[in-house]
Amino acid sequence: MSKTLKTNLVAYALVFPAFLVVMLTVAYPIISAVIQSFQDENTGAFTLDNYLYFFTDKAQVKNILYTLYVVVVTVLVALVVAYLLALYLRFVKSKIAKTIGTLYLLPRFVPAMCAVFAMITIIRDSGVINRFGLMAGQDVKLGLMYHASGMIVMNLWFNIPFAALMITAGLGAIPDSIIEGARDVGASKLKVFTSMILPLSFKDVIIAGTFVFMSNVGSFTTPYLMGGNAPKMLGIALFDQFNKYLAYNRSAALSVIMFLICSVSAGVYIYTNLKEKEWEA
Amino acid sequence: MKLKKISACLLVSAMTIAQLVGCGSSATTDNAGGDAAKSTEAAETTAADKGSADSAAAEGTSTVSLYATGSDNVRAIFEELVEDFNTNSEYASKYQVKLNFQLSGTGAAAMTDGLAAAVKADQQGDYDIVDLSGDDLSKVVSQIGEESLVKLDTSKMPNAAHVTAKSAIATDYAQPYRGTTVILAYDSKAVPTPPKTVDELVEWMKANPGRFAYNAPGTGGAGDSFARTSVYNFLPEEALTSSDASWVDKWDEGFSYLADIHQYMYQSGGSIVYPAKNQATLDLLNQGEIDMCPNWADMVLSQRASGAIKDTIKITQIQPSLTGSLQSLVIPKISDNVDGAYAFMDYMISDRAQEMMLKDMAAIPLVDTSKMDMTGYEDLQTLDVANFRLMSIGDLSTQFNERWDSEIGSIG
Repeated sequence: MSKTLKTNLVAYALVFPAFLVVMLTVAYPIISAVIQSFQDENTGAFTLDNYLYFFTDKAQVKNILYTLYVVVVTVLVALVVAYLLALYLRFVKSKIAKTIGTLYLLPRFVPAMCAVFAMITIIRDSGVINRFGLMAGQDVKLGLMYHASGMIVMNLWFNIPFAALMITAGLGAIPDSIIEGARDVGASKLKVFTSMILPLSFKDVIIAGTFVFMSNVGSFTTPYLMGGNAPKMLGIALFDQFNKYLAYNRSAALSVIMFLICSVSAGVYIYTNLKEKEWEA
Repeated sequence: MKLKKISACLLVSAMTIAQLVGCGSSATTDNAGGDAAKSTEAAETTAADKGSADSAAAEGTSTVSLYATGSDNVRAIFEELVEDFNTNSEYASKYQVKLNFQLSGTGAAAMTDGLAAAVKADQQGDYDIVDLSGDDLSKVVSQIGEESLVKLDTSKMPNAAHVTAKSAIATDYAQPYRGTTVILAYDSKAVPTPPKTVDELVEWMKANPGRFAYNAPGTGGAGDSFARTSVYNFLPEEALTSSDASWVDKWDEGFSYLADIHQYMYQSGGSIVYPAKNQATLDLLNQGEIDMCPNWADMVLSQRASGAIKDTIKITQIQPSLTGSLQSLVIPKISDNVDGAYAFMDYMISDRAQEMMLKDMAAIPLVDTSKMDMTGYEDLQTLDVANFRLMSIGDLSTQFNERWDSEIGSIG
């Protein structure tokens, strides 16, 4: 047995368990879901009805648009806030900045369910904010519960630390020396930001955005506990199709639709990564 | 060089083997002494076993195998009841109950399926007595027929005389022992005189818009019951226990009623909301955002007893009532300890067991509660357990939820 063949076999043997797991738990369900999504519920014959339903039924179209609205707003606001936070953490060297730097990751360690109930307790119409308001003689009703705005607030709680973490890592990679160099030759702070810091960290912002986007398209806990009855986020719409209406073929079709929505963002991610490779070459 | 390596390897392995052997031999010698001790021990245990077996035979206890299924709180109460039966009850000297519990979820179907399979195979002695919910009972009856159950002889259960509640299906074959029902939960501070009928409820809703909520059907039994009875109140009573698809065409009137009362429901941020899950409406009630909601009697009372919700929250039933269910015990004909099964049945409807279930899970007692300590559960006395309104519409519930979501939930 030649040496390269041996090494190859060992390599394959090492990869095989992981490969098998991915095939069984990722590839197989995806393929079977795609097949099921094109099948008629009763006859099993080929049909496009499962997809047509989601693009023709008024409530379902609303669900898709509603999900995109919630997710896009979440992504944009999370990125802006996270970017500002990351800039602060990167360039301000104070005790407060350091403390924030260690504290801002805390939300990542709070279980999602606890966080959602904590948020509900605070923002509901009879919640903490309302009670403080009543003490000051104001009946504050935020009206956030069961609405998109409430879910967006919750999503931000989850996603700002995550996005900030990624962007901070990106900003940390920008050496102080080039910024000082630019300042020495007379570049204004704004100029340094627009032509150095922003372009150098833009890739991380985009990548953070794609991650936030993907994790929110299929979110379930937050919309289940904080969302209204109509329109619904797709995660809940999928739950309804599967658990309440027992419409398995439609569920498969909706899964594929959500997969496609996510893959747009995955595409952006891959494109951004490839672009960097070109630059390196 | 190579030789050195090989010899080193050999040496190491030789040493290892020697050590293993050494250990092994010492272990064997140790065992030799140990074995002798063990054998005497074994002799003693056999004697002891025999002794207990003898005494058991003298006392004549026989094992009763009980099958039950449910969530974890049900498991806990069953373990407690079985323990009490085996040690304290008047039957303790004659029968010992062995609990076979299956947590609900994927296993729940398996329990009734297992029973059906055992009956079909005529497998004696495994299922002596079985605990079934209303739904499971109808499933069992449709699978194996009520003739495969023992027709109950109340003379063998002295306590049965106190139980007025009757199972709607297989009436003579199932002994109900606890119940629960959906009721109206209300804050007695805000609503001093709660409505008694559906019409009064609607009047109240109109007078107090935004103060009533029911959870979206499909997210919890309370909302299911409210929405379904609202529709089925317009239909003959028999429709309530029928899964015949022809009733679907007659839902229109009920759905337009639900659409009518939609405008008086709870609002958040300027639009009508039906929260998800029973607990969500109960939370709204507890927070004072609403004054009334349908909910499970046991859920409300156990949370009130534990202090999770306000003391001012009370329960009441309206007419026509919201739906509930009875939990029953049955004895399959394949039971080889029918007398033991009767004994456990009788125990379960004793005041003692009923009070344990009341205190632990706010289960509605089916016996006369006047002799019981009802502190904290006084409201239960107002419920008429003999007339629980049962509902089982089978697969129609799926269609019902879908229609509710598209016609009522989406009004906004």
